[in-house]
Amino acid sequence: MVPPARTRNEKAAFGTGPEQETFSLWPRHRLPGLTRRELLIAGMAISSVPLWGHFAALAAESLTAAAPAAKAMSFSEIAPGVYVHTGRHELQSADNRGDMSNAGFIVGDDAVAVIDTLGSAQVGADMRAAIKAITDKPIRYVINTHMHPDHVFGNIAFRDDKPEFVAHHKMARGLSARAETYLNNTKAALGEAAFEGTEIVLPTLPVQDKLTLDLGGRELVLEAQPAAHTDNDLIVTDAKTGTMFLGDLLFSEHIPTLDGSLRGWLTVIDKLESSPPARVVPGHGPASMEIPAALADEKRYWQTVAGDVRKLIAEGKTLSDATKTAGQSERGKWEMFDQYHVRNVTAAFAELEWE
Amino acid sequence: MLSKIASCFTVRRIAGVATALMLAMPVAAIANDDDDPWPDLQKSVFGDRQIVEGDGVVTIEAPERAEDPAVVPITISVPATVQGPLRSMSLIIDKNPAPIAAKFDFGPAAGSGGERRMTTRVRVDTYTFIRAIVETEDGKLHMAKAFVKASGGCSAPAPKDADGANADIGKMMVRSYEPEQAHAALRDGVVMIKHPNNSGLQIDQVSRGYVPAWFIRDIEVKRGDELIFNADLGISISTNPNLRFTYSNDPDGNNAVQVTAIDSARTTFTGASANRALAN
Repeated sequence: MVPPARTRNEKAAFGTGPEQETFSLWPRHRLPGLTRRELLIAGMAISSVPLWGHFAALAAESLTAAAPAAKAMSFSEIAPGVYVHTGRHELQSADNRGDMSNAGFIVGDDAVAVIDTLGSAQVGADMRAAIKAITDKPIRYVINTHMHPDHVFGNIAFRDDKPEFVAHHKMARGLSARAETYLNNTKAALGEAAFEGTEIVLPTLPVQDKLTLDLGGRELVLEAQPAAHTDNDLIVTDAKTGTMFLGDLLFSEHIPTLDGSLRGWLTVIDKLESSPPARVVPGHGPASMEIPAALADEKRYWQTVAGDVRKLIAEGKTLSDATKTAGQSERGKWEMFDQYHVRNVTAAFAELEWE
Repeated sequence: MLSKIASCFTVRRIAGVATALMLAMPVAAIANDDDDPWPDLQKSVFGDRQIVEGDGVVTIEAPERAEDPAVVPITISVPATVQGPLRSMSLIIDKNPAPIAAKFDFGPAAGSGGERRMTTRVRVDTYTFIRAIVETEDGKLHMAKAFVKASGGCSAPAPKDADGANADIGKMMVRSYEPEQAHAALRDGVVMIKHPNNSGLQIDQVSRGYVPAWFIRDIEVKRGDELIFNADLGISISTNPNLRFTYSNDPDGNNAVQVTAIDSARTTFTGASANRALAN
């Protein structure tokens, strides 16, 4: 996904930040009857009330106290030797610590390959611990499906395993150009505590077009894609089980986000439909899905956005007009619609107006 | 520990946001902050000239919250009730690193009646006022402003499809739209130029240096031999500069638009609309 605009992060930073010391004597327990999530929402909902700082600070205290993960990160085995963890459909926050995308790993006879590492050093470490609880085989490859922070910021947790960090050949350039922004925004959104230890680890093994990795009796085929979700999407296929990790080329439930090329993305969707694997793993959504059902919502969304935007362009309408009307029929069909839809329309318009 | 988060932002910024969020005060209150850059800006750009605000001569439309701070659509309008030609129009983004985003000097083909409009897309670096100042025929200055919540637009990184974006720098699309009524005073034109318009504030982490500023600096737009406007543009204009404007409609003549653009590397790009303007 595209990292959230910093405007929201500033709000978050304020909500958990400056009031902290003033209210540090408040009791370090939850408000009765409220979950952490409800507390957080409550903190936001009353943000226009002058006293909200008290509640926000209280919520922050509670979050901080509960933050270190008490139980192991959960992975489901969607096919023999193929494990997937599903993150929450949320913006980065102190509460989710950057665990808001899908990540997985595949175990061969000799070695393990990790596919995406979630969005902070700490959730990356949790992921590593969960892998070590399942297998003691060495982690030889850490593959990133694209450059976005929620998929790569956990890389650092695997550095001591001395794996090859594998990605699309354009990923290093894309992530490097955005490093400053990504780090600052993530730090602001997660908070100092949940961000601690997070560093960018760039790929060591670039995939030009196609690369096969051998895990021992198990081959992974890595294919670099043309610009779609980003300009550095990589598809990872486990040949043994026909499981394809699509990264953010596939969103389900969570609205897709455009940071590459809408036309390119629709082309990739067509290609996937024409030769479907046994199962696919989305970057955001359930652990395992099947084509064509998996792609139906995403395809409809992008076709709707593209159709509406093209019509408005043909009518001589402006970008501003488009942000108010294009794709509004998709509202209610996706989580995170309000956070990302207008950005998507803006990106789509800026691309399609050159047709 | 959590209070360290504040170090990401200036204390003043936090204070401004806090004020707006907590007390839900009208945004105008923020304009009175002691770090309001406008008084100094006004002096340096317009000297001691009086600027009238809110007299209905000019309006500015901007999103309250910029979903993509690197591409914020702005429309400046002068209603039909304002008679006579306009001399110039300035677009100023108070808290951007280079606040003067654009200045348009109008020529005879800009038209002298009807609702005149200029639409473009800008980068917005932080919560800020964006102002339009129009100079009417009598030499008076008129202003409208809008508050935009955005962050990081000027340092927003490279284009989404980096190779695609660099494939055809200088490519231009110029269009003239047929007005709904053939004898309308004004019609719409649009100029689009493929150009990274690097702000000079984006950091390349590989070289640990800034990507050099490289942007479209001057655009001249004509109808035949007559000037519609000449634009001086700054680094606040978004990647692939886009200007949508009204100009004088000649029901019997040729309304084709010719464009000459020059970037900061002194490369010149030219383009023109089709002679037969595109149908609506």
